[in-house]
Amino acid sequence: MVTAGATRARPRSRRAALIAGSHVLLVPAAIALAAVSVYPLAYGIVASLRQFRYGLDLGFAGADNYLNVLQDATFLTALGTTAKYVVLCVLIETLLGLGLALLVNRQLVGTSLWRIGIILPMTVAPVVVGVMWRLIYASDIGIADPVLGLLGVHGVHVLGGESSAFLGVVLLDVWEWTPLMFLILLAGLQTIPQEPLEAAVIDGASAMRVFFDHVLPMLRPVLFVAIVLRTIDAIGTFDQVYVLTRGGPGVSTQLFSIYAYNTAFLFTQEGRAMAMVVLLLAAVLVLAGIAIRLVRLGPGTR
Amino acid sequence: MKRRSRRALIYLTLVAAEVFALFPFWWMITTSLKHQVEIFGGLEFLPQAPTLDNFAALFDKYNFGPFLANSLLVVALSVAGSLLLGTPAAYALTKLPTESWLQRQALIVVLLVRMLPAILLVIPFYIVLANYGLLNTRLGLILVYTGLNTGFVIWLMQSFLAEIPRDIEEAALVDGDSRLSALRRIVLPLAAPGLAATAIFSVINIYNDFLIALTMTSTPDAQTIPVGVSTLIGKIQIQWGPMAAAGVVGALPIIVFALIVQRHFVRGLTLGAVK
Repeated sequence: MVTAGATRARPRSRRAALIAGSHVLLVPAAIALAAVSVYPLAYGIVASLRQFRYGLDLGFAGADNYLNVLQDATFLTALGTTAKYVVLCVLIETLLGLGLALLVNRQLVGTSLWRIGIILPMTVAPVVVGVMWRLIYASDIGIADPVLGLLGVHGVHVLGGESSAFLGVVLLDVWEWTPLMFLILLAGLQTIPQEPLEAAVIDGASAMRVFFDHVLPMLRPVLFVAIVLRTIDAIGTFDQVYVLTRGGPGVSTQLFSIYAYNTAFLFTQEGRAMAMVVLLLAAVLVLAGIAIRLVRLGPGTR
Repeated sequence: MKRRSRRALIYLTLVAAEVFALFPFWWMITTSLKHQVEIFGGLEFLPQAPTLDNFAALFDKYNFGPFLANSLLVVALSVAGSLLLGTPAAYALTKLPTESWLQRQALIVVLLVRMLPAILLVIPFYIVLANYGLLNTRLGLILVYTGLNTGFVIWLMQSFLAEIPRDIEEAALVDGDSRLSALRRIVLPLAAPGLAATAIFSVINIYNDFLIALTMTSTPDAQTIPVGVSTLIGKIQIQWGPMAAAGVVGALPIIVFALIVQRHFVRGLTLGAVK
């Protein structure tokens, strides 16, 4: 049986043949990815060391841009606003998303319909979301002011006052992104085996105890992934705020990205804007590093 | 009795959540169907005399046609380009030994690119495209979107491809298929639903992008729908009707696509981290 031995050897060599040469397929994608990440970032870091005025490159500036940015009170205010915005949004969205996920994760009539309705806000373009909320907050045709009037708050124009505009932008973010938290956490809940929970209930544990002792620990990895992903996205928030307030009134909703955009494209100080961006990049890389450790890598592991 | 009232409370909370989630859609759609007089005539939750005037104005007076055409062209070519670049790479990654160094590094790089906020990239993109004379061109947008979306395609496709058992493909090879015909006969048909979902997610991502299109384009020669929508807001007096209509045009195709892939949503959003 010479052939038997040959066939036995074959799968092994076939597997090797499948692997060999497939590296070549990575090359075009790698070049494309480098062209839109490594190249522009390297270019940007060089630009952050140069002086620009009115779109003209005025030469090497050393660390001037960085020193300049770190002493810029408006920049520091924008950082503070962004931090406040991110913490507030992610916190509210996590709590609401978790609550909704726990609510839907049971035998309900029409589960998938509830789900679709809840996730619609995050599918449409952030610009369109901005339009929707402009229509709601508008002082002449909107519905927010009359509703506030019904609640006893009179004479407030949501986008007219500094703190109300900030809260208005946060509410928009909560509306748009709670669905993301809900969806990820619901998926996480559905992977939790039910038997131990039922056993705990039979043993007389209260719903609260079951949640904190059993559900939450098992949900933790998914919860972390969701929070880190949402945090990174929230840091980069631009579109909705640009459409809704352009950072105003005053600087009350001027997030980091709005200020960096204005610096580069309105004040044409690309070098200074890049210095801001490089500082933020450092922060995002740290967060992304955490996210990557949490997101289990590799095909087959999910 | 206690059980029943608890159940009622659950449904009540869900109804409240749905109303909150869906009301802004309702408000925008009904506003887009109202006459100017009615928009300013106090709160109406239903248009009394529905009209398509706002949509007509959008295309006649505010020249929305070019934005729509630009969006369609840019999205179609960028999605096609990134699928062509990303799918073979994803296939190659699933063929590498699991957890090998190259595979891990490749996925980390791809994930990093995916997580970079757009504001970090637009300033250098602007300078680089200006150097090549590609500012305010559809080609410039297509190149940027193709590159950026390739990372997304790799992640999502490798998560779908990894579900195809290696044994099936190997068996086909043992049966005497060539590598290409095994790919065509076995892998592609099994991967088709994943490929379709990846394509639709890519359409949503690129169609919805605002910041990159805003900074790389300046005239209706290359501006896309989200940028077109934002130009309606810049005016001194906002034309609420046409603006609402523009919002509807911007949202409608995406809602349809989103409903098609809603089963894969979690995977698309978490890049396969959670299914």
